[in-house]
Amino acid sequence: MRLGITLGLPLAAALLSGIAAQTALAEDGEIKVGVVAAESGSFVSAGNTIAAAAKLATQQINDAGGIKIAGKTYKFKLFIRDDRTNVDTAIAAARELVNDVGVSAVWGTESHDFSVSMAKITGPAKVLQFTGNSSLGGVLSDQTVAKDGWLHYTFQTEPQEWQRSTSTAKGVLSLVGPQLKTPPKHSVVFVGNDATGQYLSENYVTALKAEGQTVDLVKYPPDTTDFSPLLTRVKSLNPDVVHFWYNGDSTLIAFPQALKLGVAPSYFLFGVDPGIYKERGLKADQPVTMSCVPMCWGSAPFQAVKDYFVKYFALGAAKGPQSSVSLLYYDYFFMYAKALEQVGKLDDPDAVVAALEKMQYQGVVSAVPLSFNNHHQVTFATEVCLAEPGTSDQFKCAVEAPPATAPKAD
Amino acid sequence: MTMEFLNLKMPMVRGGSHAKAGTDPHSPDRRIEQIVFAVALIVLVAALPSLNIGYRFLSIAITTGYTAIALYGLGLQFGQAGIMSVGHAAMLGIGAYTAAMLSNHLGIGFWAALPASIVLAAIAGGLVGLPSLRVSGQHYIIITFCFCALLVICLTNGGSFTGAATGLDVGSIPRVLGINFDKLFNYYYLVLGALAITLATTYAIMNSSYGRTLRAIRENEQLARAIGINVDMHKIGVFMASGAFAGLAGILQVYYLRHISPTLYGAFPSLYLALMVMLGGGRLLYGPLIGAIIVNFLPEVMDLNPVDSRIAYGVALLIVILLLPGGVSSGLLAIYRWVGGLLVRRGSKAGS
Repeated sequence: MRLGITLGLPLAAALLSGIAAQTALAEDGEIKVGVVAAESGSFVSAGNTIAAAAKLATQQINDAGGIKIAGKTYKFKLFIRDDRTNVDTAIAAARELVNDVGVSAVWGTESHDFSVSMAKITGPAKVLQFTGNSSLGGVLSDQTVAKDGWLHYTFQTEPQEWQRSTSTAKGVLSLVGPQLKTPPKHSVVFVGNDATGQYLSENYVTALKAEGQTVDLVKYPPDTTDFSPLLTRVKSLNPDVVHFWYNGDSTLIAFPQALKLGVAPSYFLFGVDPGIYKERGLKADQPVTMSCVPMCWGSAPFQAVKDYFVKYFALGAAKGPQSSVSLLYYDYFFMYAKALEQVGKLDDPDAVVAALEKMQYQGVVSAVPLSFNNHHQVTFATEVCLAEPGTSDQFKCAVEAPPATAPKAD
Repeated sequence: MTMEFLNLKMPMVRGGSHAKAGTDPHSPDRRIEQIVFAVALIVLVAALPSLNIGYRFLSIAITTGYTAIALYGLGLQFGQAGIMSVGHAAMLGIGAYTAAMLSNHLGIGFWAALPASIVLAAIAGGLVGLPSLRVSGQHYIIITFCFCALLVICLTNGGSFTGAATGLDVGSIPRVLGINFDKLFNYYYLVLGALAITLATTYAIMNSSYGRTLRAIRENEQLARAIGINVDMHKIGVFMASGAFAGLAGILQVYYLRHISPTLYGAFPSLYLALMVMLGGGRLLYGPLIGAIIVNFLPEVMDLNPVDSRIAYGVALLIVILLLPGGVSSGLLAIYRWVGGLLVRRGSKAGS
């Protein structure tokens, strides 16, 4: 009898728990979502943010019980693939996620070329793709996002570049101006010469000119590490402000070299969060401005953003120059989840796209609800911060609202 | 039948002669072995998709395929004629950009652009080869490097004509006999077909009098001139053949990625191509293919990040230079011969 109890009770418990687990499995469905991002290689700083933000969003949604679709509970299952900053690997990963794993959406990548090539895989398979570079604006059009267009299922997670460039230029000049003896009139934009760099600098130069600046553009080859010859050339142009665009990792190499050479009386560092400026103990006698897409890690304007970064880093995310970018991928994950709930079925990606096109979503990214325009691009503000001269952790920040219209080119 | 059918190459390999008695590549036995091996290889790679290997593996196999095609060009140039280039990606770029620009500006699709890509890359190969008639060795290598850098600068700053740094997009390959090349399996077979043609062409060149003349030039250019060989013409010929293979690889690459940009054809990809051909070995028929397989699949199989990969390639290259001057393919051949010899000896003993 005792033996029967000793063996029987645990056996019964095990059986019951098995039945309970089976019941849970029967009730819970799974939504597969893929991430293709550079977790190694030269784009690792940007790539890390995608995977880390998607992990946090997935964990929070799943911990809160998942999402309800047609009366059934679904939880997200994430499949993260490192593209090693290599287009062939990114393509192979996209093929695997779309065809082998069968994901319903893909987050990534951070590079223009990779994203475009991936969209040619996700589009025909009707898999949604949330990809994070504003240079996609060059290919997102009425035709390409139409129902039969090759970018119908692709959404750009960054704002339109002219909006970001205009608000950034305004913010930088308004913060730097009072710090200089005379208002800045001459800017040099120092940018990496690749697809993203060309697209971004074109917009930013236009925005600076619209603010009354005389602008020189100096491009450096991607992967440059010794910037001194080019920075010497920049110095010879006698700029009031040198604007470093766009790769935060390259900027963090170039900026100390510029300080040593005394290139300009003030600097702007795009893609460098105040948080990393503080972590690295950077310091300059000149005023240094930084901007964040959308809100800054290290000097967040809202409590919700501060709370976000606490949770983000608590999950083990790397502290990089562009950690703030993770906010974008985080919010869009919730948008996607909400769109699925609204549609009420998993097998209708066209309906999900339609739901996203109409959605107003109040997330962490923006003080106003997020919404996509008819080219699958969003609008939100940019935060610009000034590091007080001689300090690593004293910042004065301002949130610049996006302009309604694009600045006029020459 | 001897067991040395892997020896599909020229008679001389650095580190020793392979022209042993009974291993004449033109003997009937050897030819049958070569055909058996080639057929077995084709059947194996053709059967890969049916083995449920997954799309990721298949994608990497496609990348390996068109990379190997480009490497066969470099293999001819380096392995047969002894002229190294670190600008071979530029030839690939010329093939790819020819196809992309024809598609974007003139609406010309894959099939019509295919000969144009091959011919233009061949002409570019010949032009880049011209300096080799005056300089050699490291001086010529620097010239190829400069050409590669120059091409990237031109493409990056070419405005809407080249798509600038953003690059160019292409559409799908038009169907032939109802075959939809948007399907990855069909694209795999397209690349495989191109690779088979490349292998056959390379084999034909290596075993022709032209191939033998190239090897004579490689071994002693002055002597080759002295005995009346038109060295200049042969060199330009091999550069053009090398460019043609790269052009074919380029058009296959652009229609696979469906988007290209100048960064794909810079100095770094060129160095990788040189690395692959050195690792695999440029002198044996299957050397470039082996090099492409190693470099494309190693990070996948061993889950290496780019930094670890580069360390692994560096170490592998050192090992190859020190221990296997003919590349991994020559090492595999040596192992194969050793095992084959062992089996033959045991068979003889058992028979006696």
